[in-house]
Amino acid sequence: MRGILDDRGCYVEEGIGATGMTAATIPTSPQLASDEVLRIARLDAERAYRDLRAYRIEIALEIDGWHVDFELKDPTRNGGGAHYLIDSASGVILRKRYEQ
Amino acid sequence: MEVPTAAELLNDGTARQVIDAAWIDSRSDDPHLRHEEGGWIYMDIVTGAITALRATRGNRAEIDLHLPPEIAGSLVVGKFHTHPNPTADGWEPGPSGSDLAVDDMHGVPDLIRADDGIHLSGPPQRRGGLSGNAGYP
Repeated sequence: MRGILDDRGCYVEEGIGATGMTAATIPTSPQLASDEVLRIARLDAERAYRDLRAYRIEIALEIDGWHVDFELKDPTRNGGGAHYLIDSASGVILRKRYEQ
Repeated sequence: MEVPTAAELLNDGTARQVIDAAWIDSRSDDPHLRHEEGGWIYMDIVTGAITALRATRGNRAEIDLHLPPEIAGSLVVGKFHTHPNPTADGWEPGPSGSDLAVDDMHGVPDLIRADDGIHLSGPPQRRGGLSGNAGYP
C-alpha cells in the first residue's frame, strides 16, 4: 500500500488489486487541523523552552504524521529548538527531540 | 607555530578552567535559572599562550557567539558553550543542527559542555591555521 496527500491535505491510501491495477483510493481517519497540531506542539515546547520568541515554526503533513519544527530565527546563533512528530489523527506526540 | 587542535584545547588547563566556570554559571541544577554560557579561546601568535573571554550569557537553549572581541596579537582558535538542560528530561546533549552549521561557518572547534561531558563541533582545528582574520578565519 502507498498513499498520497489529496488537495485538501488528507492522506489517502491507494489499494493495488490482484490485477496490479489501482483498485481504489480509501480515505483514512480524519486529519487534525494544522492549528490544533501547532497548539499541541507549542504547549509542550513552552514547558521545555519557556520562551519561544527566538524561534520560527515549520509544519508539514507527511505520510507518518505532522512534523513540527522550532528553528532559530537568527542563523548566526548557536542553539536549537524542539522537533515533533505528531499523529495526524489522534494528536499524540509520537516522537520529540529537544535540541539546545 | 601550529594552531591547537580541538583535542589539545580539551587538555589545555586555561580552556578547561573557563569551560568549567561557564558550566557552573549555567545553573544546570536549577530548572528555572539554567541557561547557556559560552565564549572564545585565543592563542597568542608569538608565545602560543592560550587565553579566553566569556560572552554575554545566553538563554535557555541558545547563545550568540558570532562576534568574538579582538585581542591584539592573538587569534581565535576555538569557542565553547554549555548545554545546561538535562539529558534525563529528554534534551539532546550534543550539538544541534544549528550548532553544526554555525560552527562550520565560524571555522573553529566548538567545545560544548553538557551533563554527560564535552562534545565537539566544527572543524578539528582553526580553518586555515594562522591565516585569515584575527577573529573567526
